[in-house]
Amino acid sequence: MAQPAGLLYSKEHEWVKVDGDVATVGITEYAQASLGDIVYVELPRIGASLEQFASIGVVESVKAVSDIFTPVGGEVIAINDAIDADPALVNREPYGGGWFYQVKLADVTQTGELMSAEQYDRLISEA
Amino acid sequence: MTDASGALRRTALHDAHLVLGARMVPFGGFEMPVQYTSILAEHDAVRKRAGLFDLSHMGQFALYGGDVGAWAETLTINRVGNMKIGQARYNVFTNERGGAHDDVIFYRIGDDEWLLVVNASNAGKMWGIVSAARSGDVRLDNLHGERALIAIQGPRSLEMLQPYVDADLTNLKYYACTPTRVREAREPVLIARTGYTGEDGFELFLSNDEAVGVWDLLLAENRKHGLVPCGLGARDVLRLEAGMPLYGHEMDEEITPLQAGLNWAIKFDKPAFIGKAALEAQRDAGDYARITGVTMEGRAPARAGYAVFAGGARVGEIRSGSWGPSVAKNIATALVAPSAAAEGTPLDVEIRGTHHPARTTALPFYRRPKA
Repeated sequence: MAQPAGLLYSKEHEWVKVDGDVATVGITEYAQASLGDIVYVELPRIGASLEQFASIGVVESVKAVSDIFTPVGGEVIAINDAIDADPALVNREPYGGGWFYQVKLADVTQTGELMSAEQYDRLISEA
Repeated sequence: MTDASGALRRTALHDAHLVLGARMVPFGGFEMPVQYTSILAEHDAVRKRAGLFDLSHMGQFALYGGDVGAWAETLTINRVGNMKIGQARYNVFTNERGGAHDDVIFYRIGDDEWLLVVNASNAGKMWGIVSAARSGDVRLDNLHGERALIAIQGPRSLEMLQPYVDADLTNLKYYACTPTRVREAREPVLIARTGYTGEDGFELFLSNDEAVGVWDLLLAENRKHGLVPCGLGARDVLRLEAGMPLYGHEMDEEITPLQAGLNWAIKFDKPAFIGKAALEAQRDAGDYARITGVTMEGRAPARAGYAVFAGGARVGEIRSGSWGPSVAKNIATALVAPSAAAEGTPLDVEIRGTHHPARTTALPFYRRPKA
């Protein structure tokens, strides 16, 4: 399955879209399909300071609770309220309306530890 | 329970599940479908139309002999001996402390012939218990894994099943059973009007050899009417909404049937059964923790093991929890002190260190509309 190009990916199945020093984070198509029907997403608060790769929230399907490991560190500047009212938006539009939060990157070089679309494709095709 | 090599067992319908795109998980020693498409879509099909379930992982024991009724009554809380042929009855095997070995259904097939269906996860333990307790002319045959069980559940299950069955299903009462001919099966199939979803529905006990033929027939003929295969994920949400206990959650070796709210099934007027004295003492003391429904006020689901508080004090813990699509709220069961068991009691459920408001709710959360 082809991943959207131009995004970066983590091995925990999050995607990151970088625009200057602002990064938008969500979960991948592979992640939403594996989780199944998503019923709740617990996001960090605006203003919270996140450390890269730390567990900063959860995404819950009907059956299971899974940690969100933030693929980037920095200050949370926006969260997606739409997925609180309609968590299934994450299933329907994981790369669009189902985004999770935005951070102001503490250090723009940290994205070097993430994967390209091609690298991520390889990871999930081996899974 | 797995075989000596630790490998998971497979039901006769295993290949059919793979063809249907099921996601398979280990459950009760078997590789079982947890979902085919989506738990919520499968749940919705059962509430509105019907769903088809493979429950062949459940333990089936055949019981023979004129003494079965009297014998089983000494091991369980409910009556068995007075069941009529063609009757099914819910029951619980108890330990000396009144705790539950398993919750089960007895089906009386003939004067001297019964089927006992036990939970998959308890099948090994239960076979040990009934074998060790065997007395009189009681004979036992462990059919676990050798016989199949297919359930069709939902408001349209009768019209979907009837065309392929000789027996008149309209006249088969709730918790009744009958052997009958089913198309695609050479041997008679035992059909019971039982289930675990809160909907009308039927369970078909049949040989492994004939399971695929019957499964494929029902699905092929009824797909166009909205029948969908359903996994164990949907089944768990359906039973939770319907307030039905799941062994290991609402009942176990320590949580008694009295605590689980099964007072109606405990026949204290029986002369003796294992655990009777302990259950009487618990009933008379009256101060036991009990299973109640819990409805969350917010979007965060309660999950098994979360702590429950009332008025700032810890009063119990969540035993099962899920999003409840039929009520559009997060629902749960909890084992709580009697002080917190009254309907409407304000509660807090601790979720990842934060208290989330909830209320004690009478079970069930969902009752099917009267036909």
